[in-house]
Amino acid sequence: MATVTLSELTKIYSNGFEAVTDLSLTLDDGEFLVLVGPSGCGKSTALRMIAGLEKITRGDLYVGDRRLNDVAPKDRDIAMVFQNYALYPQMTVAENIGFPLKLRKVSKAERNEQVRQAARVLELTDYLDSKPAQLSGGQRQRVAMGRAIVRRPELFLMDEPLSNLDAKLRVQMRADIAGIQREFGVTTFYVTHDQVEAMTMGDRVAVIKDGLLQQVDSPEDLYAHPANAFVAAFIGSPSMNLYEATLRRSEDPSGDCQIDLGDQRLTVPAEVVAARPALEAYLDQPVVLGFRPEHLEDAAVVTEHPEDQRLDAVVDVREALGAETLVHFNLNAQGVESGDPDALDEMRDTGRCTARFAAETRARVGDRIRVNVDVRNLHFFDRQSHLAINA
Amino acid sequence: MPLHVTLGVLCIWSVLPFLWTVQTSVKFTRDVLAREPVLWGYETTANAYRAFWLGDDDINMWGVFAYIAGAGLIAAVLGLVGKRMRRGWPWYCGAGVVLLVAMWRFPKIWETNDEYDFLVNSIVVTVLTMLISLSIGLVAGYGLARYSGISGAVILIVALGFRALPRSAFVLPYFFGATWIDDWLESSGVGTFDFPLIDFPFIDQLQLLDTRLVLVLALVAVNQPFTIWMFRSFFLDVPKELEEAAMMDGATRLQAFRKVIIPVMWPAIIATGLFTMLLAYNEFLFVRVLAPTEWTLPVAIVSLTGGESSRTITEAAAAAVSITLPIVIVIILFQKHLVKGLGAGAVKG
Repeated sequence: MATVTLSELTKIYSNGFEAVTDLSLTLDDGEFLVLVGPSGCGKSTALRMIAGLEKITRGDLYVGDRRLNDVAPKDRDIAMVFQNYALYPQMTVAENIGFPLKLRKVSKAERNEQVRQAARVLELTDYLDSKPAQLSGGQRQRVAMGRAIVRRPELFLMDEPLSNLDAKLRVQMRADIAGIQREFGVTTFYVTHDQVEAMTMGDRVAVIKDGLLQQVDSPEDLYAHPANAFVAAFIGSPSMNLYEATLRRSEDPSGDCQIDLGDQRLTVPAEVVAARPALEAYLDQPVVLGFRPEHLEDAAVVTEHPEDQRLDAVVDVREALGAETLVHFNLNAQGVESGDPDALDEMRDTGRCTARFAAETRARVGDRIRVNVDVRNLHFFDRQSHLAINA
Repeated sequence: MPLHVTLGVLCIWSVLPFLWTVQTSVKFTRDVLAREPVLWGYETTANAYRAFWLGDDDINMWGVFAYIAGAGLIAAVLGLVGKRMRRGWPWYCGAGVVLLVAMWRFPKIWETNDEYDFLVNSIVVTVLTMLISLSIGLVAGYGLARYSGISGAVILIVALGFRALPRSAFVLPYFFGATWIDDWLESSGVGTFDFPLIDFPFIDQLQLLDTRLVLVLALVAVNQPFTIWMFRSFFLDVPKELEEAAMMDGATRLQAFRKVIIPVMWPAIIATGLFTMLLAYNEFLFVRVLAPTEWTLPVAIVSLTGGESSRTITEAAAAAVSITLPIVIVIILFQKHLVKGLGAGAVKG
């Protein structure tokens, strides 16, 4: 168990493709850090560089005080769980879990003891003599975990370990993995493309896109204060709605501001603007405005809301989820693309807006509705750089 | 139903020549050579088998058959008992008994009959060809499956090209190559040089032509493209994560290959080994050209059918049946490995 430092790690493949650029991260001892990003963003490459399965083109990797750039994978004392488990099919569960110990020439008695102990934690005791082919997906996943924890490595690497499981099992394994990690207190570096996994499991979450680190923060801060439009849209489901809009000082002396969003207008109280002094510089200029689906309400349900903080809309699609209802409608405004390659094509560049209404909403497809906007939770981004306008 | 009829017809179609050979091997020559084929009700004899395997020895061949069948039965029963008991010893005992009786009964024939030299040649050539081709093929196939560069592609395509050429195209180059080496060995004196302290048994003169060595070398060479391609395609099915996992678990590349990849590859090794065995065991042309006297069994058989005489036609048939049986048995024993899935349970599935 140790602190892990990645210092400007860069991977350039022989064909010139730069998969990871200047990735710098520090994992505290025992921390669970999740690296999340859309497919092809370089997150697996980063993981494989730490594992030693890819050569580091530039930069340094430290675990504790040891520089590991040129150390062979077997000598790094790092354990890894693979997406497809990579269990050894010819070995039993016990042999699979004991394999790392066997390679370390641990005596047979001690090996058996440690394997049994790991199997107890992972609830695999009844399956020790089975072959991987006889196990279910979740059990195989746990065997892979067992193989990783049995030798108490300095660092766990996990490469999308849940993506081969069905949805229900995934939720359970999410909790299990987090629990096991806490129990053993091993520093863990977890890679996923699923932001829900990232938010629920990580002590901290690092968002990466096109090989560039976007933001590292606790899940709460990432959600509340995204550093740029990409992070804002990537974290949270459904995604944040992003539009081009213009912020204007209103004529009346209250100091309130107005946002022109397409042909509609929202009033923003003066204190909201005052909380973000940097916004002053953007007055009367187009900015990127973002608001999350959960910060929209059906005006027919929540009637207590200032009239000038409402939008008109016609419902396009309605998805009743039970506890809540997702309502999609079109705002007559220019949408902004966050740059997530996994986003659906038909969602790009349209004024499509998603709202997360309470289940009591009576909005039906085709209805003309009023939507309350929680102006205290608006996000503003620079139109060119997409960076958040915060301070 | 039409499927079964079709398969049945195809089955009969393929087995018929073999049945004809079996029939020929137990007939008297007069029935074999009869103008009207005698298909039923002929008198049977084991003379042909006796002539091929026992020379002129006066042993009752049916007795030998009964003995072989009995030994096989004992071995099978003990094998089943061993399997049931999950112990090895009844199986080893069975094999030991059979071997012991065989040793006690056969030495006399062994010494007097040429056919056994050819049998030994066949076994040595087949086993060596298998060992060498499989070793090279495993390593080369693994490398070519994991390395995807231009030179790898070139090697694969060249190998495929060699595979596509008819085998007869290689015989003469090998023959002349071997002749050239032998000439050099003789003219330079290396071939007849007396090495100090080393006294090679059975060899007074080093040469290549007409040795088992040249057969093995030539067969390995023509078979290599096949094994490399075969192993490469099997290796491509083995997920890369398997060896990566092994390396993360603390194995060197070689350990990962030996302890994790090879065990997964057993079905592939058995399948490729069987094909290699068939090639080496059945080879005729190379043996005929490269080894004028060091025959293997197929050439020995053909020598029986050669010439104007058809007196030995039954003996040739008996020989053909005898040398085919071991192959049939091996294929039956291992056929499940030929179809067994690879790497089941290694990854999601």
